This record gives sequence, structure tokens and C-alpha cells, in this order.
Amino acid sequence: MSAAVQGLRMTLRMPKEAEERVEPEVARPADEDALARRALGGDRAAWDALVARHHRRVVVSLLARGVRVDRAHELAQETWARLIQQQQRGLLTELRLPNLALTQAAFLAADDARRSRRESISGAVEELPERQHPVDPSVSAERRLLSEEQLSRAHAALAQVSPSARNVFLLACDGQELPHAEVAARVGLSVQRVRQILCEVRKKLRTALEEETHA
Amino acid sequence: MLKPHLTRDSAEQYILGALSPESAATLEAHTLECEPCARLLQEEALLSEQLQEVAQSFPPEVRVIRPARWHVRRVAAGAVSAALAAAASLALVLLPGGRGSHPSTVVSGGVAPAALELELDAPRAIVVACPDLATQDSCAQAAEERGLLVQSPLGTTGNVPRYEARTGLPEGALSARRPVSL
Ligand SMILES: [Zn+2]
Repeated sequence: MSAAVQGLRMTLRMPKEAEERVEPEVARPADEDALARRALGGDRAAWDALVARHHRRVVVSLLARGVRVDRAHELAQETWARLIQQQQRGLLTELRLPNLALTQAAFLAADDARRSRRESISGAVEELPERQHPVDPSVSAERRLLSEEQLSRAHAALAQVSPSARNVFLLACDGQELPHAEVAARVGLSVQRVRQILCEVRKKLRTALEEETHA
Repeated sequence: MLKPHLTRDSAEQYILGALSPESAATLEAHTLECEPCARLLQEEALLSEQLQEVAQSFPPEVRVIRPARWHVRRVAAGAVSAALAAAASLALVLLPGGRGSHPSTVVSGGVAPAALELELDAPRAIVVACPDLATQDSCAQAAEERGLLVQSPLGTTGNVPRYEARTGLPEGALSARRPVSL
């Protein structure tokens, strides 16, 4: 303990309040809120729009958990079906997307995995369709979580990319699931250029995240 | 296998939704037959999820106003410090009280609150300390790269548990009136 406290350093920082920030991170598009309200009221077209916006993220989150791609599509569909069902039964009071859908999908994936395990214990594993086996079971929940150090490395790397590239990245990845076309429209670039920037930033951050793994 | 293997680029394009429906379908079909490519796709999906986390925790622009005055009180040598040493990370958030400063401690990982109090002249600020020897250099460097003041406190080298820099605070932590889970 005493060795650990030598040379204690502190960093003090203040939020920059009421000053210019390129894109306010809490801003949810007004249409997203309106859509959620309409969906909660049972508007099928609103549901369709929300599904169209968030479906890909749900699929990607399942792939990240090692669900095979065809099963991931099925579980993603099931996710939406369940949410709509809950809404129809009056069980949904709030619709926070994509988080609610991601949680539902994670639940379904875990349920799937449990069932596979149960059947493998009873000796029926060969009869399970291969697509229900995880791609890589070693990618545990632990590896999915970023460590503090990885996060701060990634933040440091992100702080070093150009402000406009950072802006594109934050717009595209802040959880609102803005379509790339909309990101492009907001920053005045082509969709192609937006994707190019996303790939470049992605490469830098990949390197930053991997550094620690090798340390 | 007739279909081409995935490349990191093609997997990335798939994840970004940049492939045509036909190309996407071809790629998907391939991953169902080819284990290494299924893993590659999973890796890229995992990276995407992690990047969401990075983006959503990226701190807003910050600036330094003034150094903190601080001191240590009542640090229990035993259980508390052991628990704190075991904690992966901690951050302290100072919140203004009705009159004068009213420190509240924010601790991640469900460990006991630190018996450490800090006083600030500023009405409200976040203090991040990164004292352990293993990470203080990278911590200080990361802070400096972001233009933050890195400061050694005065005369308090004892009995302070291990901290690491925390660069992202959850939404609402600044205005919270009670400890916030990190
Ligand atoms: Zn392959």
C-alpha cells in the first residue's frame, strides 16, 4: 500500500459548461423520441422505422457474443417480436433503444446457450444444429468488457485524431444509430467518406485497445 | 470452399452495413461453413461493440480551473484499504453542498467508500487521482495529452488507496447528489 502511494498524482478537471461542443452527446433526434412514443401507442409503422434503425446493431451485438450469423438474424427478429408483444400487452412503459433491444437479445442468446448446454449434458449435442454452437466460447463476457486502461488508451487515441474525424466517429457510434447517410448530411461529407473515416478511426482504436493485451 | 474467405476489410464493411445485400449474403453464407472466418466476423463485431463503449464514454471537453487542496482523514488501515486496493478503479467526485464543500465518494465495484476527503475551492469539479506506480506514468501521460493538469498533492503521501485515472464519467454523475456507480 505505501509503495503504491508514492508520487501520488492528481488530475483535476472541470466540465466545460455551456461552451461550444460540436455535437451535444445527449441530443436524441426529435424523431426518435416521437417514434418511440408512437411505437408505445402501438403504431406499427413507427415500430418498423425503429426496427430498421436498430436491427443491425442488435445483430452485431449477437455476433459479438459468438452467435452464428443466421441464428443472430433469427434472434434479432425474435427480439423485436417480443418487444412488440410486450407493448401490445401494455408491459412497456418506456422504449429506450437500442438498449432495451440489446438487453432482450442478450437474454435470448443466453437462453439459447443454456439450452445447448442442457442438451449437451443429456448427450444430444450432436443433434443440435451446428449454428447453435458458439463460434468461440473463449470470448467470454470478461473479454467483451473493456478494462479501465483500455478505455483510457482508446480515449487518448481518439483525442489525437482530427476533430472532424472524431466528430464523425462520435456521431456514428454514440448509440443513436444514426444512419451513415444522416451522419454524412450533418457533417457535409459523402457517405463513402464517412465510412472511410470510420474505418480509419476504427484502425487506430483497434491498435489502442490491443496494446494492453500484449503488455 | 468455393466462396472467398473474409478479409478484415470485408468483415468491417459488413459490420458497417456498407456491403450490397448480395455481398452480405455471400459473406454470411461463408461464415457458416468456415470456422476461421466466423471468428474473424465475431472479432469485428466485438470491436464494434467496444467502440460504441469508447464513443459513449468519451468525455466532453474538459478544462482545468485550479488545483485542489486536499487532505486525508481517518483512513482505516485494515479492511477498507484492502478492499480499496482490490478495487479495479475508483474516482472521486466532489459535489457542492448547500454551504461549503460536501464531498461524496464514488466507488466502482461495490467496495466500501474511501475514507478520503478532498476539499476544493471550486464549486464543483471532478478529481481523478492515479497514484499507483504501475500506471501513473501512462495515466499522467494520457491526462497531459488531453491538456489536463497533472499535479502532485502536497505532503500527503501516506495511507491513500490505489486509484487509477478514470476518463469517462457516467451521464448525470456531475449533477448527482449521491454516490454514482461507475
Ligand atoms: Zn473462410
